[in-house]
Amino acid sequence: MEKKILTKYIDDPAQIDIDTFMAHGGYKAWEKVLKSMKPEQVIDEVKKSGVRGRGGAGFPAGMKWSFVPKDNPKPKYLVCNADESEPGTCKDRVLMERDPHSIVEGMAIAAFAIQSHLAFIYIRGEFAYPAQMMEKAVREAYAKKILGENIFGSGYNLDMIVHTGGGAYICGEETSLLNSLEGERGMSRIRPPFPAVEGLYGCPTVVNNVETLACVPHVINNGAEWYSSMGTEKSKGSKLFSLSGHIKKPGNYELELGTPLSVLINDLGGGMLDGHNLKAIIPGGSSTPFLKPEQINVKLDYESLAEAGSMLGSGAVIVISDRTCMVWVIERLIHFYKHESCGKCTPCREGTGWLEQVISRIEHGQGMPGDLEKIESLCENILGRTVCPLGDAAVMPIQSSLKLFRDEWAYHIEHHRCMVKTEFAFN
Amino acid sequence: MAEKDNNSVSLTINGREISVPKGTTILEAAKQLGIYIPTFCWHPKLKPAGACRICYVEIEKMPKLMVSCATPVAPGMIVHTESEKVKQGRRAVLEFTLINHPLDCPTCDKGGECDLQDLTFRHGVDQSRFDFDKYRFIRDKKSTFDDFRLGPEIIRNQNRCILCYKCVRANTEIFGEDDLGAFQRGNITEIDTPPGRQVDSLYSGNLVEICPVGALTNTDWRYKIRVWNTQTVNSICPYHADGANIKIWKDRQNVFRVTSRRNDAIDEGWLSDVTRYGYQIAKPEGRLLNPLMKKGGSQVAVTWEEALSAIARKFKDIKDNKGGVCIGGMISPQLDCTSVYAFSKFFRTIIHSNNVDFRTEYRMLPEIPEDMYSRMASQEFSIADIEKADLIMVLDSDIMKEHPNVNLRIRKAITQKGARLYTLNPVETKTGALSVDEMVFRVGTLEALLNGVCAGLAEAGSASKKGDTAALKKCLEPHTVKDAAQISGISEERIKAFARAVAHAQRPCLIAGEWLTESSMREKLAGAVHNLALLGSLYEKGQIGLLARAANSKGAKKLGALPHPGPGMIEKMRQTWGEYPDVPGLASDRMIRASVKQELDALFIVGVNPMLTMPDGQFVREGLEKLDFLVVADLYESETTQMADVVLPLSSWAEYGDRFVNLEGRVQEFQDAIKPLGQSRPGYMIVNDLAAQLKSPLFSEKSRFADEVDTFLNENSVMPVPETLVEVRFMEDKINPEFPTPMLVVDQEHHFGHWTEKTKSLSVFCGEAAVEISSALAEKIGVVNGDIIRIESEVGKVNLPARISETIDAEVILVYRNFSASPVNILQMRKRRVDRVKITRVES
Repeated sequence: MEKKILTKYIDDPAQIDIDTFMAHGGYKAWEKVLKSMKPEQVIDEVKKSGVRGRGGAGFPAGMKWSFVPKDNPKPKYLVCNADESEPGTCKDRVLMERDPHSIVEGMAIAAFAIQSHLAFIYIRGEFAYPAQMMEKAVREAYAKKILGENIFGSGYNLDMIVHTGGGAYICGEETSLLNSLEGERGMSRIRPPFPAVEGLYGCPTVVNNVETLACVPHVINNGAEWYSSMGTEKSKGSKLFSLSGHIKKPGNYELELGTPLSVLINDLGGGMLDGHNLKAIIPGGSSTPFLKPEQINVKLDYESLAEAGSMLGSGAVIVISDRTCMVWVIERLIHFYKHESCGKCTPCREGTGWLEQVISRIEHGQGMPGDLEKIESLCENILGRTVCPLGDAAVMPIQSSLKLFRDEWAYHIEHHRCMVKTEFAFN
Repeated sequence: MAEKDNNSVSLTINGREISVPKGTTILEAAKQLGIYIPTFCWHPKLKPAGACRICYVEIEKMPKLMVSCATPVAPGMIVHTESEKVKQGRRAVLEFTLINHPLDCPTCDKGGECDLQDLTFRHGVDQSRFDFDKYRFIRDKKSTFDDFRLGPEIIRNQNRCILCYKCVRANTEIFGEDDLGAFQRGNITEIDTPPGRQVDSLYSGNLVEICPVGALTNTDWRYKIRVWNTQTVNSICPYHADGANIKIWKDRQNVFRVTSRRNDAIDEGWLSDVTRYGYQIAKPEGRLLNPLMKKGGSQVAVTWEEALSAIARKFKDIKDNKGGVCIGGMISPQLDCTSVYAFSKFFRTIIHSNNVDFRTEYRMLPEIPEDMYSRMASQEFSIADIEKADLIMVLDSDIMKEHPNVNLRIRKAITQKGARLYTLNPVETKTGALSVDEMVFRVGTLEALLNGVCAGLAEAGSASKKGDTAALKKCLEPHTVKDAAQISGISEERIKAFARAVAHAQRPCLIAGEWLTESSMREKLAGAVHNLALLGSLYEKGQIGLLARAANSKGAKKLGALPHPGPGMIEKMRQTWGEYPDVPGLASDRMIRASVKQELDALFIVGVNPMLTMPDGQFVREGLEKLDFLVVADLYESETTQMADVVLPLSSWAEYGDRFVNLEGRVQEFQDAIKPLGQSRPGYMIVNDLAAQLKSPLFSEKSRFADEVDTFLNENSVMPVPETLVEVRFMEDKINPEFPTPMLVVDQEHHFGHWTEKTKSLSVFCGEAAVEISSALAEKIGVVNGDIIRIESEVGKVNLPARISETIDAEVILVYRNFSASPVNILQMRKRRVDRVKITRVES
């Protein structure tokens, strides 16, 4: 059931050392690309393989790389987005901590594909240990001349910089990330222009998620056909899923895309904790709408989840049991989004604050008639009206919760208390 | 819809079609059609932010509302700006904006000119669904007053801020300052200064003007008057030669503030704080309001009749017995065209003297008409064209203090249009930080450096066009890059690099400023600039500006208010007036010398304070004391008025209307905001009344006189330049080893001339007088910030507190000239090019 492509060696503590990594076949793809492939070929191969962005948006990686204008005289930049902050997601961190060289290799190949000679990895400020690991990996790569000048004698130069952020969810959004990397406030930029044309320092830039880049060496080593033989028609390959919640065996699991959710929850995850029944599932990180227990067999791929009314997102599966108040869940989430809103655009900045105040008072037994309609109206005024998707991310779980669990909300308002009291899993 | 050409896009807004260049935003296209779309965070001169979201429009085939300020047009777009969806979107944004906005309107200065008020009234709802307590940015828990002073003139109330970020964006994008930023995130974002700093740049007032709500307000305007009780008049800045267009806000006989009146050819809507707060000279506090006459040792108030007849009597007496050449006149170049012209005409046709000068802060002024300098200074110059330059050279000028609007245009050319800047100055300047190479030469060696650049240009091949290297050798001293490097202190590589940049520039722009204009080597420097312009093809490819500082310097020059106006102008005066005095006139410094030698008996000084600003203060004092008769007309009491026999109250520019000629030669009219204060009179009226007493008035109807003034203003004053190199030989000035340190006398950022010290707002910005020195020099003499330094020259000494500069490395000291408490002109020598002093620490 589990695929072991990205996670093949993460249980080997020696994998973080470059010698072990190379003994396991590491940097062979990078060498192959430099010695025998042209940038366009690399882009083609990745396009054919069907790798899609693993950070949450699901945009085809090869296509994103092909947007970089080739005749632009400005330098190109590759940025790896390691600002993993989507609530529930912890997959990038495990790759950085246990297999950092795979990320370096993925970044290097991607940089070559877009003819970039300077790559950055932007790691969220709280990830002190993963950042240390990445810095160690980059140092080791430089020492072995796998980064730097004239790599493998090919004449190609590539420098890599490890940069840590200051601790903001919004810096996971690519334009805010670029602003933060440049030393500015981490606030989103308006688009157009898009980063592929005008990104870091106004130069063509590609921003990819850690996991996306980690897939790339495997595509090069084994071929696009091999990679696309896994998964479904539109969602190719394998993905890491971070499973958490009221589950017996939480953790990261790598699965072929298209695997049913029930496999993840019941088989790999060991099923619900004793005494807990499934009530709701967040399939792709807190920004994605809820799934109900009857949807447990939905296939884990971009299309199937979209059809089911949610999103694959970052692949963070949060399992919620019947010993949880859904209003409390939403209060927890809106508090997060309000805290993380960058404050640039009016709807998100003021709207998340207002929503938090209304939802909080409902949860704490002071809800007033008309509050639900007010929340729905505010959500409509935020959805699609903001500079970046944080506003949408804040609103979608609220709308989903009102749609699927309206009875709990109504109960709160009428009876001034939870319909179901939240019990913490560690009580 | 067919495109006119590849660069043009057609779209439809509200059913009306328009074709605009590619890259235009929907908002800009709508403005061209006259279609109104509300905005908060959009500004015509800033990059669009897309933050406020009020400018939503609905575009067919697009599911979401799009912000028109940031969405470029696409062919065939169909846009609706007043559909139901758009209206609902606007109501939603306004609702969000208002939920934490305090109900301060009754006490908020912005009421009546507030974008939030206007847009809510127009597009919003009058009821709110928000039923929580509004978030407060509490400054003091015991008070409900949340105002906080960010700088001398800026008060911030963060509760009112709608986070459009215009203040921060303008501060960084346009002014290049870093004293204001946003802290925290989300709806608790605060606009604040970095710790320990305040907002006090020369452009800080613009941040208040640009704020759409009452979050940032002016200390000066606070609670003074409601904007709907005021009227505005169109005026021009009376300080800088840039000629920024302004509006004076007044009610009855009081002036309250100045705001910009955007003129894209000059100021683009940005004003320096001197322009903005300097209107306070039109307020009665401290102003001279009636004539004074010295009687029995002290100055007593008298009537105009008494004052004027006393002056007329005295002047007639001197004229009849000794000749008009014993009377001299100095006039401020900040006065209007009519006053300056009347002054010159008065002296020449009624006093029969050519002793007229508007240049009263310079020394060693020439005794013959300036040739090279006048020719160079007369070249056409356009502020707007600075944007088009690919290479900008700023010579001998702290351009930000002298011409704040030109400075912003230079910034714009560099940051937005990719121009490259070189500065050649005797000390580091703020603008120099933007340059490719900030060439700080040894004080007093600019012509040597420019000669070196010419030699570098010759090496780059362009000398062959205008004469050969032999000609260079003949005319220039030094004539090699090596020698120039040795004299000026700029390395050979840098000189050659600069020369290369000049040779390759397609649209060069050269600007020279006050340190050149006031230099005793003005002619030589102008010659050096000409040589550079010749060899670098600047005349054909670009523009050259030798800029004088004051609002009407160019006007005063054009109207001949100087002792040697040049043969062409003399002829014109003779023709217009039917007469012209034979004896050549004295420049202002010679007038003082003549008075010391008792060859000059009377001086008529209008709007100038030579006691404070003319070099060699002691000598000026001696000269004024030895005068038989001194008449001074000014706005305020000053060191010079205190020595006068008759003091006349002068009206400020806001108290009458007239014209200034800016540095481009553009004649701009300003209107009167109030009537003359007290018994003050405009300069031209004083002169005319005096003329009437002596012989006959110069004019009876002001408008007819304006025609006469026009004939001078309309003359094309561009003079031809030589077609070959001119001689420029550098001579090292003798240095007295006892006084080794070069001293530059400059204006404080927020001061201009001797009037600004009397204004409330600007004097707060400027603080106390000080001397600015580099940290190396400070270490050498053992001082830290605030220690008192004694500055001594061969003619005087002054004690000033030290201010260690973070930007100055050069071995010079900077002293400020506008502080009456510590006049620094007493340190300057009349016959020196470079002031040198001895500095020592004063034991406390």
